Amino acid sequence: MSRFEVVAVLATGALLALTVPSCKTKGGPDVPGLFVLGVDGMDPVITQRMMDEGKLPNLAKLAKAGGFQKLATVNPPQSPVAWSSFVTGMDPGGHGIFDFVHRDPKTYQPISSATPPSTDPAKAIEIGDTYFPVSGGAVTNNRGGIPFWDLLQKAGVDTEIYRIPGNYPVPDSDAKTLSGMGTSDMRGGYGVYTWFTDKEIPPKPNGEKPKGDIQVVTVDDYDLDGTPDSVHGTLKGPPDLFHIPPDATITDNDYLTAGVTFWLDKQRDTIYIQAGSDTALIRQGEWSDWMKVSYDGLPGGVVAYDGMVRFYAKELNPGFAVYASPVNFVPSNPAQPITTPDDWSADLADILGNFYTQGMPEETNALKDGLFDDDDYIKQVALVQEDARDMLALALARFQPGDMTFMYLSDIDLQCHMLWRHGDPKYADAPHHPAWEAGSAAKHKLDIERMYEHVDSLAGNVVDNLPAGSTFLLMSDHGFQPYTRDFHLNTWLRDNGYLVLKDDKQTGTIPTGDVDWSKTKAYNIGFNAIYLNEVGREGQGIVAPADADSVMTAISSRLLATTDPKDGHFVVRRVAKSKDIYSKQREAEAPDLIVGFDIGYGNSDQSTLGEIGTEELTDNTSRWSGNHLMDPDVVPGVIFSNQPLPVGGHYGLLDVTATVLKHFQVDPATGMTGKSIY
Amino acid sequence: MKPLISLLNTVFDVVLAPFGHRFAAFDLLVWPALAGVVALLVYKKVSNQKGIAAAKNGIQVHLLEIVLYRDDLLGVLVATAQAMKQNALYLGNNIGPMVVMMPPMTAVLVEIVAHYAYSPLPVESRPLLEVTMAEGASMKSTDVTLEVPPGLTIDAGPVATPEGMAVWRLKAEAPGDYVVTVKVGAESQQKALAFGGEPRKIPVERTNTWEAILYPGEDALPSDSAFETIRTRYPDRELTFFPDGESGILGWFFGFSLAAGFALKGPLGVEL
Repeated sequence: MSRFEVVAVLATGALLALTVPSCKTKGGPDVPGLFVLGVDGMDPVITQRMMDEGKLPNLAKLAKAGGFQKLATVNPPQSPVAWSSFVTGMDPGGHGIFDFVHRDPKTYQPISSATPPSTDPAKAIEIGDTYFPVSGGAVTNNRGGIPFWDLLQKAGVDTEIYRIPGNYPVPDSDAKTLSGMGTSDMRGGYGVYTWFTDKEIPPKPNGEKPKGDIQVVTVDDYDLDGTPDSVHGTLKGPPDLFHIPPDATITDNDYLTAGVTFWLDKQRDTIYIQAGSDTALIRQGEWSDWMKVSYDGLPGGVVAYDGMVRFYAKELNPGFAVYASPVNFVPSNPAQPITTPDDWSADLADILGNFYTQGMPEETNALKDGLFDDDDYIKQVALVQEDARDMLALALARFQPGDMTFMYLSDIDLQCHMLWRHGDPKYADAPHHPAWEAGSAAKHKLDIERMYEHVDSLAGNVVDNLPAGSTFLLMSDHGFQPYTRDFHLNTWLRDNGYLVLKDDKQTGTIPTGDVDWSKTKAYNIGFNAIYLNEVGREGQGIVAPADADSVMTAISSRLLATTDPKDGHFVVRRVAKSKDIYSKQREAEAPDLIVGFDIGYGNSDQSTLGEIGTEELTDNTSRWSGNHLMDPDVVPGVIFSNQPLPVGGHYGLLDVTATVLKHFQVDPATGMTGKSIY
Repeated sequence: MKPLISLLNTVFDVVLAPFGHRFAAFDLLVWPALAGVVALLVYKKVSNQKGIAAAKNGIQVHLLEIVLYRDDLLGVLVATAQAMKQNALYLGNNIGPMVVMMPPMTAVLVEIVAHYAYSPLPVESRPLLEVTMAEGASMKSTDVTLEVPPGLTIDAGPVATPEGMAVWRLKAEAPGDYVVTVKVGAESQQKALAFGGEPRKIPVERTNTWEAILYPGEDALPSDSAFETIRTRYPDRELTFFPDGESGILGWFFGFSLAAGFALKGPLGVEL
């Protein structure tokens, strides 16, 4: 912008400011602003130790000047549940998000808790082989309650919310919001990558399938000069909805595709990538910038969707292995809104350039599936951190006295999940994790500490640059613990006679119809959830409502008495009946029992999705090695403030929501139960 | 081609950006408006004004006929055919003026694009230099070499594709205008690269095809060059109050010049 243009803009702005009366009622320069950093998974014990060791100087200074305490989390302590509680100021019975995974009570199928299937079936007109949508099929956000930012914005407080979990699909709002965790990739999945390789992927010992699209390719000799030099592949995008009947199940072949070509140099240490109209040149071990790919829903681009992808050259010599990130929405033109207002993502992109829009941008699936080693993974985490740093700087620059800004950081949560196995940051004398890898442990055992240090530097930067008098809060939704043993809840239910398989089978899955519902009293779908097979609620219920309480009590007693044959340790620390702990608005949708595992234990992924296996307890050999899906008492979060925290207070997530509202003298909505900290 | 581009460059490098490149608004307002007015006057001069007026009247008459006699199927069909004939006459009367006006309009437009559509490469970026061999060139892309001046390094590459491309990734140490040399066999060609600094005329592409006229930032390649194109992709310049990039300037130029033309057709007595 030229000096003339800057002056013109400023002059126009000044004139407008003089002529337009202020619409603010609660915020504005007269009220100190409030800036909140939401750090997923920050643990009070690790934080305290590192502050004591002088590794978190900014947070230590903050704790001294203001305060630092544990912050009670919710039950179950899962991120979407916890952040929904913070957003709405309600417990799960109020907002209706009880787990990452819910179930359809009629079919027993696992469904997404954030985006359950539409209750209004999609209808389309069929012309030739094309289906033109007419009505229905819209997927909406399942979270109930009123987000605190709507109350603030309505009261005239300028509110900006960056990367908030559980806010996709994005509900309407007058506040500026950017959705975070839970935002899908272009396929509608949560991190579906593409792996171009010249080798077949060996199956995992546990039979788990890779979480991406594996394309076994050949390196062709395009010009027949004896040197293999080119690879062709495709990137799957959104489902080809114009060519799928509206009631059909989407299969692997039902996605739109875009072509990608890789050209290798003679030494095979560099590739030239052509995807869409964009090109990139990367060496082995490097990431490309974002490259735009387009998908035509209808011929000629009449309906087209833009996505963006970045590539990682894992191996170019002697083999060929190139990773393509999940195809993200393009923030300047997202195929689905990811912000309110819709065009705010484009405004952000104007300043920041492209940024990760996928809800969990760290490539955890590539690491879990063994395609990435820790070096590859950490390299990609640095890209995500770069995005977060830039976005936080922008949020800070936009923050004015009287404003409310929230920004979410994923650094600690996902890295604790993925890297805990290299060295327990919480228990110095802990034995090696079952997934400990001798080769990389030495190099990566301090990575989690580095994430804390990164958050410390970001927090320090915020505190140092906030307008004078502003309030700063740093909070986390839960803490962390090691995750060494997998408990297979459905297998336990089978062994204890609560779940029966058809035809005397011993193993099977709920989704594939292996369960004999006429003999099954309880089943597990979700990480901490047990549902009774209740008459009148489930499709083929057998437990009479009058008997429900005694069945729940019996299951609870047995679970609490269950010990690990390896060392006699109790597996479960608490089993809560949802009717005893949740408010009533949406309690009917809740699991009947919430299982609170003890430190080190967690429900297996397989059981979470309805699998019944052979053993009740197995070592967790997955790289997903830290966890928090346990008894909430063992995974509290943290709260820091630059204002003194009342001594001896015991606060929870809902109290932070109440504090945010009270800061601006805004009344809480019905159902919000927290008490302000100040 | 080359002398023509050099001539246009000489002229427009003087008349464009009289206040420097930071202030784009002057050229983006004046030139489309001027182009609209000049086009209007040229149109008036070279077009058959009476023929255009007659064709427009004819179209109106036959459209009215269709409305008035809509119950008479045969009459409507005949009127429709006559309206289409008049429409064809109207279009025919416009072809000549269009042919006359297109070259100068294009010249102005591509010069404005070169001056205002792109930003210099950010110094921290790692741009690609993409060289495409001419069809029928005796040398292959694998034979192409690149020499870079001090301050510029080859960050990666080359990757030579069998489709006739050679690609390098470059890295600049500081803002500046660099000139690299691309060689194959006995032929040696230069390509300018603009890194950082103030907005300026951007050298996007050199080519030996007719498209050279679209890239006046540099001379065209010789028609017998072994290279068809030597190019670097530049980011769009953000113009704040005007649409960005090539297509933005294109749309703005046509829209604003048309608006200026329509606004002044009455005072200038031009039948459009």
